[in-house]
Amino acid sequence: MIAQQIINAVSLGGVYALLALGLAIVFSIVGLINFAHGELMTLTGYVLLAALIAGVPFPAAVLLAVICAAVAAVAMERIAFRPMRGASVTSLLLTSFAVSGLLKVIFQNGVSARPQAVAIPSWMTGAFSIGDFTIGVGPTISIVVSILALIALEFFLRRTVTGTAMRAAAEDFDVVRLMGIPANRIIATAFLLSGLLAGLAAMLWVASRASVDPLMGFTPVLKAFIAAVVGGLGSLPGAVAGGFLLGVIEVLLQATLPAAIAPYRDAIVLSGVIAVLLIRPQGLIPAVRVQRS
Amino acid sequence: MSQIRNRSVLLAAISAIAVVTAAPVFAEEIIIGAATAQTGGLAPYDQPALAGLRMAIDELNAKGGLAGKYKVNLIIKDTRSDTAQTATVTQELIDAGAKIMITPCDADPSISAGQLTQPLGIPSLTLCGSAPVLTQAVGDVMFGTYPADNLQATAVADFAIAEGKRKVFLLTSPDATYVANLPEYFGKVFEKKGGKIVGRGTFTMNQPDFSAEITNIKGLAEQPDLIMTAAYEPDFPAFIQQLRGAGITIPVYGADAIGTPTIKALGKLVDGVVYTAAGYPEAGSKLEAFNAAFAKHAGHAPESTYEVNGYEIGLILDQAVKTAGSDDPKAIRDAIANLKDFEGITGKITYAGTDRMPLRPVVLMRYEGGEPKYVETVVPAAADVPAP
Repeated sequence: MIAQQIINAVSLGGVYALLALGLAIVFSIVGLINFAHGELMTLTGYVLLAALIAGVPFPAAVLLAVICAAVAAVAMERIAFRPMRGASVTSLLLTSFAVSGLLKVIFQNGVSARPQAVAIPSWMTGAFSIGDFTIGVGPTISIVVSILALIALEFFLRRTVTGTAMRAAAEDFDVVRLMGIPANRIIATAFLLSGLLAGLAAMLWVASRASVDPLMGFTPVLKAFIAAVVGGLGSLPGAVAGGFLLGVIEVLLQATLPAAIAPYRDAIVLSGVIAVLLIRPQGLIPAVRVQRS
Repeated sequence: MSQIRNRSVLLAAISAIAVVTAAPVFAEEIIIGAATAQTGGLAPYDQPALAGLRMAIDELNAKGGLAGKYKVNLIIKDTRSDTAQTATVTQELIDAGAKIMITPCDADPSISAGQLTQPLGIPSLTLCGSAPVLTQAVGDVMFGTYPADNLQATAVADFAIAEGKRKVFLLTSPDATYVANLPEYFGKVFEKKGGKIVGRGTFTMNQPDFSAEITNIKGLAEQPDLIMTAAYEPDFPAFIQQLRGAGITIPVYGADAIGTPTIKALGKLVDGVVYTAAGYPEAGSKLEAFNAAFAKHAGHAPESTYEVNGYEIGLILDQAVKTAGSDDPKAIRDAIANLKDFEGITGKITYAGTDRMPLRPVVLMRYEGGEPKYVETVVPAAADVPAP
């Protein structure tokens, strides 16, 4: 039982971590909390659905959907956020809300307000047994994908020039530009990575809910935002830690709270978030940032 | 500044006069306000129901309007599935002169609309809101139209008992009246008839992680032979996906909100799921004829029985205005409240003697091989139906 719940917690935490990381990468470089991140997930879901309906084999459809998410994220930056570059945090935030709202309406009117069922292959909904407890294939995939994505991202940021430039940009963008690294490339790469992460998270999210609908991006982006704030806004390790922490707390509370108190789960979780922020106002692992006046 | 204001006041006055004098006089027009969700979570329910109502009104208007006399002007405003927004648009519709109000497919926004229409005595009908507390929470102007939750729950519980099921797990969410109460009504009937509730679980709507709850079900000392829930999309697909994914094969039963194309499209995943509907189009039935007429009118077949329910609201209003003999909201309200054995499309509809939740037949359906299959039509004994 306990082992089972730990798997559930890690599986959910992994998805939150991927999402929070997507938000954090963009925030660390351009200072934008992209609330349209959730709509990238929705878009990914619809692309997957369309590809499956068109008869594309499942693995190819997943690949296509994730690529679309990355491309859409870059396009979003080019169309909506680049003209706003250098604007205040509030303006950027409002722009992201506008993009999010616009996309939701487009999905509602262009596709349908009704959720669309997504046929997840039956092997993904199966379960296997180790010893005396069964593990679902879904949560296992979720955990494996999250961990692989985190390792790949770590590798990219540590071992490539662009990755190094991005880490430097997160600390002091102006100095990086003085070194001759083009700002547009860094920012586009940040959005590309956040799109990839949103796409991967969306696949895991859709696989566990078996349907896509125009509003499906809202809850996960909210969770990711909470995770990113708890972890330390703009800090990549912080986002991962915050994501896992949030997932673990949610699942463990749901598992252990008696039915009468369970409805207050979210209130308890958010109180915990406030407590963490009271003790560590900069988050669990604060972002390193050079003070610019 | 003041000059500009004066001028704009003058302009407004002139245009107001112009409107009053230019507006054609529709002495026999009746305004029906529809505060319904065109966007958001309730849209998949409100839209089909509204489509049915519009068809009824188009047909009635072609014959001169309600009671052949009062041409209907249906004004539709979007509530965005938001309770506060529902109150706002309801007020706008009242200001526009609505004499009858149509409210969304859920108790909470319908109650917020009813709180505005109740003091004015404007009869208000929810499209497919089915919580029996809904009409009591508002007062004598509020009417349900769909089979009530306690009626549906009784029908499903009777069926489960007859099938030999004895141990149930109830999955609810406090986030909406329907999802919170319907399984509990089921539990009451189930226990009274010899069944046992072996566990209860809750979930947060729109949060698709059911893993902890499913692990709890797995760990129950006494395993249920049935899971009863009123979860609907997007929660129901997520729940059943994760339940089956965890290797649990216990049957899941629900109610009317899972009789939708989305749930049907889940295919094998929902095999064996029992749910309710307001009617079943048997060959030669009125409902079959309606479905054909609707397909012609709307360009697509009805998605569920919400369409016919919306259509029947039009018929009920027509009958009520006939009985009332006027377009006076209070007289229309009384006429609806006294309706008895009214021949709708799906069967007889009665309001007389009820708390304004109609007595009408409930149809049980079951998904098999990705297709909805008819099980039976029942009218549960009034004594068995638990109090709201």
